[in-house]
Parts: sequence; structure tokens; C-alpha cells
Amino acid sequence: MNGGVEIRELKKSFALTRWTGFSRSVSEVVAVDGISMDVPEGQAVAFIGPNGAGKSTTIKMLTGILHPTSGNISVLGFTPWRDRRKLAHSIGAVFGQRSQLWYHLPAGDTFELLSRIYRLERSEFIRTRDVLIERFNLGPFMNTPVRKLSLGQRMRAEVAASLLHRPRVLFLDEPTIGLDVIARQELRGLICEWNRNDGTTIFLTSHDAGDIEHVAQRVVVINHGQVVVDDNVAAVRRKYLGAKRLRVQFHETPRPMKLDGVTVLSETSFEWTLQVDTGITPVRVVTAAVLDAGSVADIAVEDPPLEEVIARIYSETRKEVPT
Amino acid sequence: MNIFSDAARYVWIARTSARSNLAYAGEVIYRCSFLTIILYIFLRLWTAVYEGSGVDRVGGLTLPQMLWYLVVTEAIYMSAPRVASEVDEDVRTGRLAVHLIRPLSYVGGHLSRAMGDRVVRFAINLMVGTAIAFVLVGPISLSWSGIAMFLAVLPAAFVLDFLGMFLIGLCAFWLESTSGLALIYTRTVMMFGGMFLPLAIYPAVLQPLLKVLPFASMLSAPGLMFVSPSLPLLEESIVIQVAGVVLFAGMVGLVQFIAMRRLFANGG
Repeated sequence: MNGGVEIRELKKSFALTRWTGFSRSVSEVVAVDGISMDVPEGQAVAFIGPNGAGKSTTIKMLTGILHPTSGNISVLGFTPWRDRRKLAHSIGAVFGQRSQLWYHLPAGDTFELLSRIYRLERSEFIRTRDVLIERFNLGPFMNTPVRKLSLGQRMRAEVAASLLHRPRVLFLDEPTIGLDVIARQELRGLICEWNRNDGTTIFLTSHDAGDIEHVAQRVVVINHGQVVVDDNVAAVRRKYLGAKRLRVQFHETPRPMKLDGVTVLSETSFEWTLQVDTGITPVRVVTAAVLDAGSVADIAVEDPPLEEVIARIYSETRKEVPT
Repeated sequence: MNIFSDAARYVWIARTSARSNLAYAGEVIYRCSFLTIILYIFLRLWTAVYEGSGVDRVGGLTLPQMLWYLVVTEAIYMSAPRVASEVDEDVRTGRLAVHLIRPLSYVGGHLSRAMGDRVVRFAINLMVGTAIAFVLVGPISLSWSGIAMFLAVLPAAFVLDFLGMFLIGLCAFWLESTSGLALIYTRTVMMFGGMFLPLAIYPAVLQPLLKVLPFASMLSAPGLMFVSPSLPLLEESIVIQVAGVVLFAGMVGLVQFIAMRRLFANGG
């Protein structure tokens, strides 16, 4: 599988040395504990987990920054820690809290420098740069020093900078951290578009469920260094919350309704929001009861927000794996 | 071809670093005014020393030569970029990842940045210092061969200092903070490099040792080469500089090799 990412039994542990007076004790901290997974080329994967779960350590091994204690990784056919500099030509990374742009210079100067660092053909660089400027709407501030940009503008420029050499795999480590709602949506849209149009494999780590929901097709949850969930986004939502949400609008005040497994989340004179435990009562039974309760103007069946799914996975794995 | 295009990447980093240094005019003005004050104070002090003692030469230099020596050594010393603290910050904050994701050598990237930064700062410092020295003591006689000798020892002086600071920065892999070490290092360079006092003024018993230490190659050698160039001094300086660069580069390579194995995912 030369085009994607292949991880086999990946382990990383660190020796932690503690001094008590003159006596030294060394303990082993296992950050990544036997992760195995394949990511085909062009897939967008959300790699999530609570703080200290081993996400960043895994990403850093995938990019060749860290050596694993044991196990194997192949990224685009390269062994990252052995071929770091060769692999660097085919991968890109955005670390949300660490800028790659030169602070006192306009983003265009960093783009120019990156074109030299990656030895891009002049015409190819100009073509890609212009496409990125247009798609990421960077034109209005291309000549403004980075220090004068808003966080949203800077993050758009950061992601564009990491795409200049058209990487086949893009690692995004919390790319929307600190952004407002609009800037987040814009950035997610741009990442999705690049993934779709260019076929770039996306490796996303984020604590923001919205990022995962909008960008990724697949979710890998890790905790205590192990993969605890690996499935597509919709399946994870279904599997981990056997629940649906019904939003109902009525023409008139409806009659009260009571069914097992149905919780009223909010209620006004003409609108209900219900949470349905589909393991107890199927959605079709609830829908029939709602239609019976009054004249329905509109009805929508939704999945619960991903935040709840993630919170549940984290709490379940916390119970299962002793810390 | 590959070597040239590889070198071109590092040259471009240096170029970008130089441009970045000039982009913030406020900082340039602050640095210049600080240098002006420092130089003025020391120029007045040395004038008082010469006038008070009634001698023509101190450490083999006349008053104008001493003041121009001071201009050069101050310009070099004050042009030093914050390499140690940048490396320290890379390690501590996990910013190292941003550097290692590129198809570049970590030390090479920092060297290019530091050189771009330093050349600009040094040029500005030298211009300011020259103006002050012209006003206070007038010109000294310079020759093209002397300037060539001065320029021959300058790059290795910068590289040596860079390697020393880089080594200090790498200590962040083991220490909580490297700022104390950096302070000791800069003061050692200042004292044993001959920034305020030419090494000829130091006790005779210390001079052979001070001459072979790498610190003299960073400040004293270029300073003397500017005011009183000589071929034997050039040869001696180049030998010491080459030995120093080889030694420091070897130490950087070894420490970096060990340090990278201690690397873990800092900062999530």
C-alpha cells in the first residue's frame, strides 16, 4: 500500500527518571501501545482522543520526528524516521498552535521561501500559489505582515503554506483551535475541498467535534495509547449513541405524549425536541405517536451531536482501561 | 547540481531572515540607539585612560586604533542572534516539529537564519559605530589587504559563536532552563574574547591560553585584523578558527544525536 499510511504494532515508551535525594528511580511511560491501522490514499481520518492519549506522539512518529520503540510505519512507502527528509517532500503539516509563517514578513515571503526549500519548479509553484490564493481568499492580505493578520487569516495562510508543495498526506494538528465559528467553518470547507479535489490524505487531530464531523470520513479514537474505536463517522455516531433526535413543529398545540425511551429535551407550544432511545422504542413508533399528537407542520430526524458520542467513548474507555 | 540547489535553499533562508530583521524598524532603531550609548561611554573611558596614563599605546594599540577595535568587537558582539533561546524554545514548546517536518537539516536551518540575521545586524552596528568613531577620533588607516583579512576571519567568527550558542540551546533537552548557561557563555565570550580589552592587556601568564580558546577567534581576531592586520595573525586566527569550528561542530553533532533520542512529544 505505497500510496497511503500503514501502521503495524506501533509502540512508543519513554523512560521517566525521578530523583529522591540521591536515589534514582526510572519508570516507563507507555505513550503508544500497539497501534495498527491502514489509511488508504485520499481518505480523511480524524485521529482523536483525550489529552495524553498518544495522538501527538503517533503523529510525530508518522512524520519522522520521533523514533518508535517498536513496530513499523510506512507512509507513502517511506519509513518516516529513517527517510525523514525524503518523506518531507510528500507530506505537509499544520500545527495549530505553532506558526510556520515568518512573523514580520507577509505570508507571500514564506510561500517564496517554501518554494525554494521544496525545490518547486517555478511555473508549478506559481500555478499552485495562485490557486491557493484564490481558493483560500488570501489575496487581500498577501502583502500584509503576518503579525498584523487576524487568527482566521493566519490559519488560512498556514494551511495554504502547507499545501504549496502539493503534499500527498497532510497532518493537521488542531487546525481550528482559537478560531471563531465563521473562520472555523471556512477552514473546514477549504480542507474538505482540497481533500476531495486533490485527493490529499488528511490526518486530523482535534478536540472539536465539528472539525471531525465536517472534515473526516473516518474516526479513530485512541486512549491510553491504544485504538479503542475505528469506524466511519456516521457508524460511530450510531453505534455509540443508540439514539436519535426528533425536532417536530406543530400547527397547533399538541396533546401530551408519553412513550418509553423518549425524553423531551425542549418543549414550547408549537415545537418539541425529543431524544429517542432506539433500543427501547423504534423511531417509526415515535413518529407515528407524534403524528397522532397533533397536526405536524415539519418533522426532522437527526443524529445526536458528535460531542456527546465522543464524551461517551472517552468515559467508557476510561472505565475499561485502568489508569 | 544537487549540492548547489541544496545550498541555495539555505541561502534563501538566510536571505529571508535578513529581510525579516529589517522589517521591524522599531527594533533596528532601538538597537542602534543602545549601541550608540554603549560605544560613547567606552570611547570616553578609553580616552580618559590614554590621557590619564600619558602613554601612546596600550596593548600595542594607539587611542584611535583602540576605539576602532572597540567599534568592531562591539558590533560583532551586539549582532549575536538569540540562537540559544530559540533552540531552547523549540525543545520546550515542541516547535521543533515545525522545523523537522521540512526537508532540511535542523542545525543547517538555524545556521542560515542566524547568519542572515547576524549579517544585517552587524552591518548596521558597524555603520553606527563607524559614524561615532569618525566623530570622536577620526579615521584610521585601512588597506584593501587589511579589509580582506578582516573579512576572511569574520564568517568563521560568526559560525563559531553560532555553534557555541546552539550547543547551549541543545542543553534544554536535559535542563529546565538554559538561560543561566547562555548568560555564562555570553559573559565568557565578552571576557575572554577581548571585547572591552584587547587580550594583550591581560596577564602574560594567561595570554597563551586565551589566544587558543575559541572565544578570541570570535571577537579579538577580527577586531585586531581590522585595526592592525598582519599575515601571521591571519594564519594563526584561521588555524584556531578551523580547529574551533571542527571541535564545536563535532560536539553539536554528538549532542544533537543524543538529544534527538531523548525527544518526546512536547506540548501535545
